[in-house]
Amino acid sequence: MTLAPVILVVDDDPAIRESLERELRARAYATVSASDGQEGLRVFETHTPDLVLTDLSMPRSDGFELISALRAKARTPIIVLSVRGSDADKIRALDLGADDFVTKPFSVAELLARVRAQLRRTTTPAATLLTFEGLSIDLGRRRVVQGGRDIRLTPTEYALLEVLASNAGKPMFTDTIIARVWREAPSTTADTVRVHMSALRKKIEPDPSSPRYIVTEPWVGYRFIAEPV
Amino acid sequence: MSLGQLRSVVVSSLVGVVAVAVATLGGRVLDLNSSTVGFAFLISVLVASLRGGLVAGTVTSILATLCYNFFFLPPLHTFTIQEPSNWMALVAFLVTSVTVSRLVIAARRQAETAEQRRRELETLYDLSIELFTATNRVGALGEAAGRALSLLGAREGGLVLFEGSPYRQNVVWWLGEKPDEIEELIAGVGRHKEPLEFPTFAGAEKISRGRDVYLPLLVGGKTTGALVARGTDASLKALVSASRLVGLAVEREKFIEENAHVQALRESETLKTSLLRAISHDLTTPLTAITLHTEALRRMAESDGEWRAPVAGIANETARLRRRIDNLLSMARLEAGKARPRREPTPPADLFRAARENLPLVFESRPVTIHVDDDCPDANVDPSLALEILVNLIENAHRVSPQGAALELVARQHPLDLQQVRMEVLDRGPGVPAGIADAEGNLLAGATTDVAQRGLGLEIARSLAAANGGSIGIAPRQGGGTVARLDVPAAPLPVGESA
Repeated sequence: MTLAPVILVVDDDPAIRESLERELRARAYATVSASDGQEGLRVFETHTPDLVLTDLSMPRSDGFELISALRAKARTPIIVLSVRGSDADKIRALDLGADDFVTKPFSVAELLARVRAQLRRTTTPAATLLTFEGLSIDLGRRRVVQGGRDIRLTPTEYALLEVLASNAGKPMFTDTIIARVWREAPSTTADTVRVHMSALRKKIEPDPSSPRYIVTEPWVGYRFIAEPV
Repeated sequence: MSLGQLRSVVVSSLVGVVAVAVATLGGRVLDLNSSTVGFAFLISVLVASLRGGLVAGTVTSILATLCYNFFFLPPLHTFTIQEPSNWMALVAFLVTSVTVSRLVIAARRQAETAEQRRRELETLYDLSIELFTATNRVGALGEAAGRALSLLGAREGGLVLFEGSPYRQNVVWWLGEKPDEIEELIAGVGRHKEPLEFPTFAGAEKISRGRDVYLPLLVGGKTTGALVARGTDASLKALVSASRLVGLAVEREKFIEENAHVQALRESETLKTSLLRAISHDLTTPLTAITLHTEALRRMAESDGEWRAPVAGIANETARLRRRIDNLLSMARLEAGKARPRREPTPPADLFRAARENLPLVFESRPVTIHVDDDCPDANVDPSLALEILVNLIENAHRVSPQGAALELVARQHPLDLQQVRMEVLDRGPGVPAGIADAEGNLLAGATTDVAQRGLGLEIARSLAAANGGSIGIAPRQGGGTVARLDVPAAPLPVGESA
């Protein structure tokens, strides 16, 4: 990659906006900024950033409007900065097409990890081999290797792993998982997913007490947390 | 018999005498036959009985018989006792007299009762108007009830309200003397919810007639007080109606009071909600900015050993402040009803992992081992509240542990209750401070242990655990240290669906 990825920061609070930009620049990202949804949309059109970081509650035009407007024209990753306790807002933003969220006040390390995960998802061409630390998934041969040993998965477990791992870093709604894995069985419930997910996690996690690959994402569903290598 | 009644009897008897005299005179002058004259005498008896009742009727009957015998039955001008017509006439007159006077008395009584009912109805109507339009306080209720009682003929009595129990009586209003012994009667009426009625005590000189009536104030099957009417001759129905009206009015007063209270509460709720919103925004924004600035400082201090420690300290304390504010906001939101715990099946391993992310400094500064039993069910908790509880327990354990000593996090099925998950934080600190928990490890109520002693963290953890349907305990650990445990409901995997 020769050019630094451009990140659009949208927040109505100048203190947060400026310090966020400074931190991102310090990590060699280029930044542009806006103070509300409308301005964000204008800046997006002139600068075509690689990723958007947006607050939700802003005067005039809020984050939800911005997400809807952006999703109507682009697949650019969007990370939402949400406030604790407003889980309903967070879920609504994901529903509208946001890719991830961090909860204010967030740690910079966490935010940067989310940014990396989103940028990687969009810049890496669709691979046939997904490789994470200690775990590799060969999509062509449907083969899973963890810690050097072959893992035997049922077709459902494999489908679950494939859906999550190919969206590594992104919170996945249980409903989305059901739609992709149980296409033919619309009556599948969250409990069914939970049973299969539990079985899958027991097979691929080297230490089920400290999950390295799959975790539950409160009120959303699941998230594949390992970073690709 | 009163003087008025005596006068009326005498006057009616005189009217009878005059009527008999007129009939006799008329019969003689017009030379009517004895049967016709008999009818005339019968009319005289009728008139006298109508006006004067049984006594005047009897007097007139005897007089008419004598006149009939003397002037019209042969042999004339003598009293012939043997003549059967004579006896027939007397019997006819007397029967007429008795029948008519009884009819008259019955009719008069009916009229009197009707009049009394009318008066009672009027009184009740006035009472209802007074109770439900003019009054807006319990004292005014008592006055209205008192006026109604006087109108219903009570010479003593009043209104008593119960405060929680029939034995705690509050006399709202009382007319005349209130003997102590009637408290028992009032309580009895309150308990049995039936009116009590008996003749007024003979010993009470001022009350010489009528009866004492004790009426419960019944609303929705509950007695809220009693209405007492002593020495009244009003009908029980009227008194019961009055008591119902007063009961309703008392209830209404209560509603008005409660409504005002609810209104005040609602306003304070609105205030709480907007305060919460303001606080969470106004605290979160500067904290986020501080976190970002600190990160910039940390970057700059990386090359400068002198600055590294204080900057790390700022970052550490900022994180702690953030967690505390989160805790307080969570509690305030739950308390204000702004948020309800949203429970969902959550694997304990995920909670431990999230705790590790929240407390990087703790996990970097000492070894922490995590163990989740293979058969440990998922916890059915609000994930973010459960995380806050664990973070608090781990922070507490970290604070009291000697440097480098390991912490252990354990999750398993509750040993006694299969419907619960037990998560434990084990440390090698100084153990459980005295006065914090009982022998079973249950936290003692705040009375004996102040918040400062057990730490705000434990207090917060306790409240949040309760909101999750769980509980917190703290017990000494074998070999020294403390076991802090969090028991929460389990969310077992549905059976029969496993792959």
